[in-house]
Amino acid sequence: MIFGYLDAGSGSLLLQALIGGLAGIGVAYKAMRMKFARSRIARGAVEDEVETAEDTALSAES
Amino acid sequence: MIAPDPGSFRDPASRVVLDGEKVLRLLDERGLQGWRALAGTDFFKSAVSEGRLIDAVEIDPPSGSAGALEHPRLPLVSYPYEWTFSMLKDAALLQLDLLEGALHAGLTIKDSTPYNIQFVDGRPLFIDIGSFEAYRQGEPWIGYRQFTRQFLFPLMLRACAGVPFQPWLRGDLDGLTPAQMSKLLGGKKRFNSGALLHVRLQARMEARMSDRAVREDLKTAGFTPELILANVKKLRSLVTSLEWEHSLDGWSDYGSCSHVSRDRDAKSEFLQSTLERVSPRRVLDLGANDGHFSHIAAGAGARAIAVDSDEAVLDDLYRRSKGQSLSVVVTDLGNPSPAQGWAGVERSGIIERARPDLVIAYGLIHHLIYGASIPPREVLRWLHSFGTPVVVEFVSPADEMVAKLVGNKLPHELHGGREESEFRVLIGEMFDVAREQSLGEGTRVLFDLVPR
Repeated sequence: MIFGYLDAGSGSLLLQALIGGLAGIGVAYKAMRMKFARSRIARGAVEDEVETAEDTALSAES
Repeated sequence: MIAPDPGSFRDPASRVVLDGEKVLRLLDERGLQGWRALAGTDFFKSAVSEGRLIDAVEIDPPSGSAGALEHPRLPLVSYPYEWTFSMLKDAALLQLDLLEGALHAGLTIKDSTPYNIQFVDGRPLFIDIGSFEAYRQGEPWIGYRQFTRQFLFPLMLRACAGVPFQPWLRGDLDGLTPAQMSKLLGGKKRFNSGALLHVRLQARMEARMSDRAVREDLKTAGFTPELILANVKKLRSLVTSLEWEHSLDGWSDYGSCSHVSRDRDAKSEFLQSTLERVSPRRVLDLGANDGHFSHIAAGAGARAIAVDSDEAVLDDLYRRSKGQSLSVVVTDLGNPSPAQGWAGVERSGIIERARPDLVIAYGLIHHLIYGASIPPREVLRWLHSFGTPVVVEFVSPADEMVAKLVGNKLPHELHGGREESEFRVLIGEMFDVAREQSLGEGTRVLFDLVPR
């Protein structure tokens, strides 16, 4: 992957898709869905880790 | 000896260095790929031949670089906070035109800063060859936010709110943020379509998405260059529609003052004699106003740099001077553009950049002495610091213009050295007088000064 030296800003990147017209709105919608789906998976993984840590702590106490 | 340009370091793929009078661009592997992709296109050849893109010749790279280019040297580097409204607008349209042309040629421009554009003979010229690279499928326009912050918002600030953009761009080299611009655009203006989209919606989306990267998601979702082209088209239409109605509240109407028309011929002849004696390559016209004396210097074969704080007169001068050897710089000489940016050297001060062989200070020093309360000795010391001949107009306290400038100040609140006899003593401390000439009613004297 090649990185640019300039931070383009996520909101600005999505906006330019929206400005592009109907096709762009579809692209922005798909990108947003992917983003939120990944966020949910990441949040779920964190919650799993917390639950595991709590279980370990409880079994250690007992 | 090679010295890095202190203003060229942000892009790791491409860096400008100075080798004596030569201007070189050193490239890493990625920069070299970008250059090769650009150099082989008809777009590059036509943009260079039309004077929109700086020329570049590939040369043998020094060790440590994958590639190197040589560029022609620019007559003067100026910054966006020294430009007039029309200059920034022309630069914005050039940026959009080149991005559109690049996309059609399978390339893109990876940033969108006005610092990549300079003015040569009254026309904008894109100078950062290193900004071009091959377009990668699915990539959005990385420079969009930068374009709005450094081109669009400053133009909208002037056109929609009547506020000069130069202090904002000088205060923050990255330009105005969408959130700041959203607050600055009040009333009905915030509801026009350009403001709604590029200002308010961008501000809102930036706030909501600040901690989320979406570049790869856009690519996967099917982003295409046609979306960038559609955005460019809308931005071009918006920028073209922005107009600034000049007002005559500054010195725009200076030419109608009685002393100006009365003394103009005498001052022109006096300057002409000095130009013949000095044969300068570069003339710095301080307090240039409508540029009459800058044009005389340019007509004598010099590069004239017209400096004034009045954006309106300089905007007119810029529009009248296409194709002439004349550069326009908006700055307040009581507070000229300083060296600033990273390490305090990224953007150098205007006085350092000007490097004149002759300085014109007509109709100027009484504004510094009476308007900005600069002591006459300090004004002369500053003129002496250029190390070049100076053509200066002295205006005595009895002159009608001085009465206007003094306003409510009392005599004891003004600095000494204002009377002609006192001023002559100060001149004698630093300069030799090559020539002098009294004007009109005897309240003004022209001096041709040579620094000791």
